[in-house]
Amino acid sequence: MSSNCQPIPIEGIAYNQLKIEKKPIVPEYVPRDPVLVPKANRTVVVNPSRTCMPFGAMFAGLGMHRGLPFVQGAQGCTTYVRYTFCRIFQEPASIANASFHEDAAVFGGRKNFIEGMRNLIVRYHPDVVTVVTTCSSEIIGDDMVSFIKAARKRLIKELGEEEGNRPKLVLVNTPSFAGSHIVGYDRASRAFLETLAQDHSKPNNRINILPGMVMPGDLRELKHMLREMGVDAYILFDISDVFDTPLMPPQTLPYYPEGGTRVAEVEDMGNSIATFALCQNEGGLGARYLEQKFEIPAFIGPMPMGVKNTDLFLKRVSEVTGREIPKSLKDERGRLLDFMADTLHHTMMKRVAIFGDPDIATGITRFACELGMEPVAVMSGTKTKTFTADIEGIVGEFGFKPLILNGSDLFELEESLKTMPVDVIIGNSKGADIAKELQVPLVRAGLFVYDRVGYHKRPVIGYRGGERLLADLVNAIMDFSYPEERTQQL
Amino acid sequence: MGGPITDAIQIVHAPVGCAYYTWATRRHLSDQYAWSLPGKLDNVAFNRRYCVVTDMEEKDVVFGGSKKLLKSALESIKLFPEATGVIMYTTCTSGLIGDDIGSVAKQIEQETGKLVFFAEAPGCSGVSQSKGHHVANRQFFGQINEIRRKQPERVTPEEERTPYDIILVGEYNMDWDLKVILPLMEKIGVRVLSTFTGNARMMDLVRLPDTKLNVVHCQRSATYIADMIKEGYDIPYVKASFFGIQQTNKALRTITRHFGLDELAEKVIAEETARIQPALDWYRERLKGKTVAIYVGGPRVWHWIKLMEELGMKVVAGACTFAHEDDYEKINSRAPDGMLIIDNPNEFEVEELLETCKPDIFLCGLKEKFLGRKMGIPTLNSHSYEKGPYAGYVGFINFARDIYQALGAPVWSLVNGKEE
Ligand code: SF4
Ligand code: SF4
Repeated sequence: MSSNCQPIPIEGIAYNQLKIEKKPIVPEYVPRDPVLVPKANRTVVVNPSRTCMPFGAMFAGLGMHRGLPFVQGAQGCTTYVRYTFCRIFQEPASIANASFHEDAAVFGGRKNFIEGMRNLIVRYHPDVVTVVTTCSSEIIGDDMVSFIKAARKRLIKELGEEEGNRPKLVLVNTPSFAGSHIVGYDRASRAFLETLAQDHSKPNNRINILPGMVMPGDLRELKHMLREMGVDAYILFDISDVFDTPLMPPQTLPYYPEGGTRVAEVEDMGNSIATFALCQNEGGLGARYLEQKFEIPAFIGPMPMGVKNTDLFLKRVSEVTGREIPKSLKDERGRLLDFMADTLHHTMMKRVAIFGDPDIATGITRFACELGMEPVAVMSGTKTKTFTADIEGIVGEFGFKPLILNGSDLFELEESLKTMPVDVIIGNSKGADIAKELQVPLVRAGLFVYDRVGYHKRPVIGYRGGERLLADLVNAIMDFSYPEERTQQL
Repeated sequence: MGGPITDAIQIVHAPVGCAYYTWATRRHLSDQYAWSLPGKLDNVAFNRRYCVVTDMEEKDVVFGGSKKLLKSALESIKLFPEATGVIMYTTCTSGLIGDDIGSVAKQIEQETGKLVFFAEAPGCSGVSQSKGHHVANRQFFGQINEIRRKQPERVTPEEERTPYDIILVGEYNMDWDLKVILPLMEKIGVRVLSTFTGNARMMDLVRLPDTKLNVVHCQRSATYIADMIKEGYDIPYVKASFFGIQQTNKALRTITRHFGLDELAEKVIAEETARIQPALDWYRERLKGKTVAIYVGGPRVWHWIKLMEELGMKVVAGACTFAHEDDYEKINSRAPDGMLIIDNPNEFEVEELLETCKPDIFLCGLKEKFLGRKMGIPTLNSHSYEKGPYAGYVGFINFARDIYQALGAPVWSLVNGKEE
């Protein structure tokens, strides 16, 4: 080092200088009681892979333009969800809360709601407020429908007819003890369409897309495919420019991201020619509602991941809109196939464990099979009616028989994998400990990826999403298990 | 608050959400590990490795969840025999349906002989986290007393005690703050028996009253328990803060004065300050004159005001989340002239605060840090740190480094439309 270079005292003490001596909690390794490993044999849940219903409803509510969720419950229920959004997306997430105290438990949450709603609307001028209930408000038995009416009255009295009626209020009932975040989102999709979508009398020649809780990168990929096909679509709920927004100060106050689905768009969704719910469990309810109410054909799942599922999606879109699948998309398909052919020596016969929310786990399972990988265990954190059959259907085509865990916890998955070794795990950040414990790589995908950056910006859907996931997979396997000299030539 | 205790199975009696969100989110670190594979200590420490929840469902809400809690606790003790005991938490849901957690605890104790603690801290019964802390403090203390009465063999034997024993109360080992604090304590000649509750073991709880002096670090959340120990066991406590140089100096002096070890403190202070001086000067040179707004949990605000001044920065605004009245008195007395103070601001007020004060940097929690950045203001998560430890002398340099990094990053000069 040159001597006239002034040393910069970078830090006081670096993390790796702390020298943490790991002390074992017991002298010897204790294998877990095999009887209690299967979730079916125990009451307690260890390392859940799902969270509560309000999460899904808040996710949805934030996907509306100038949309704010209002949580009828204790502060904790809101704070933790906001934390979670911040950790995943590294973006602000504004969510209001009724701040329950003891008196709310005794007298019900009526007063908190009406006052809270008034303050929210006067200060923030939202276009739409998603009213999200919680365990507490559901147990207390708050009559939200009447609360909302009373709040509306209060608003009109203070702000006049027009302004008092302007913000839409959409109620989503989400007592968490009755279902997971998946169900919360599913219910929100129906609640929004029920409350806002108008009659089927002015055909708009568009399609509706209910994407489910996918990432901003997925939505951008989706829009890209639709643009290539020349198809106009409404997307409910479009979080792409909410959870992945540019740094472009100054901002006007109050801060709202530019994106989100507009109220007018949801209103017009009753006039569309078809609805596509990309995830059957996250938006399927909404699609079915439109089908029953307005006879709009619903196409529910599978998530357009990998080759066949993306083919199917594009084919259906093409059929209902009459638009051809353009050469550009066929080229993308071809490039994915080319990539698969070039990497097959790294994917064929690799044993993989897959976990996550039911739809993405199902989508990944098919793609993994298309890559010649063998699913050894597939888990959905949320139990659904069709998950087991869906997975059996897919793996059956390829002749595999994985362990299928429908609505189990990560503890069972982890302990099962100790007896059924795998080469790689695909799932969210909650799998990091498991992967480390089993000494295999984790390829991150899904909703709860917060321990590495940038995953929300990249797609897993579409042909290009497939390319990305495939690259991640192969690179992870190579980083993990190939001696350097082998990777000189792939 | 019990979360940092490492050798306990932490059972959340609630629907799954309450537990999922809190699972390993805070960096209350520990050195006690479960084996990942035979002969391999890897992964994360025991207290962050497993998230145990009763997963209340509709039928439990209707018919009560006590049985489910008991069954879950017994099962988890079987699954994790390495744990010393269990700590059970109720939340709003279990609180509202009125499950009797106390009697469940007794039953578990009888059946397994393990240590059992519980805290009923439903978010809806208090205005804030802070009241939850209070309730948990009181309950833990009652349970400690009972265990000591029934099982006197668990009390620290006389011969294991020294006249210089202290306990750090309200220190949660965020990002290994303890790795900085403990060596300092050793140098000033006192012995740290344990902390409440950073990297603590369950037995440390039981032995809380076996100290000669309590040193209260996070003052709001833990003064309660120090008070109770003082009343019940006649053990004095002193308040101390290990954030910043002056405050750490003061803390060392306060502790040594109690034991008549003043000289040691002066020696340590001289050594440590000399050691970090070059680094401190380097950062102060680059940070002086910058303005800062602070938004953190109650007690920390007045800590941070002093700290900022030590770096030559100017605090232009401060806001607290769970401040009590006396917090405000303290802040007011320490606030520099012209500083804006806001009580429990909502998000809109935070935005307004940033807009009016236009600070050069905003110290805040995770939720606000992304909001501030969108407005073009560098932010720093001083709640749970960016890259800690932040405590003590070297920790303070880490803190200065993180502030400098936040402020000095070239990205801010690339942002369009930022008014200079
Ligand atoms: S506020 Fe109550 S219900 Fe909500 S997370 Fe906290 S304890 Fe759980
Ligand atoms: S599970 Fe229920 S009480 Fe807990 S955070 Fe979710 S809504 Fe709130």
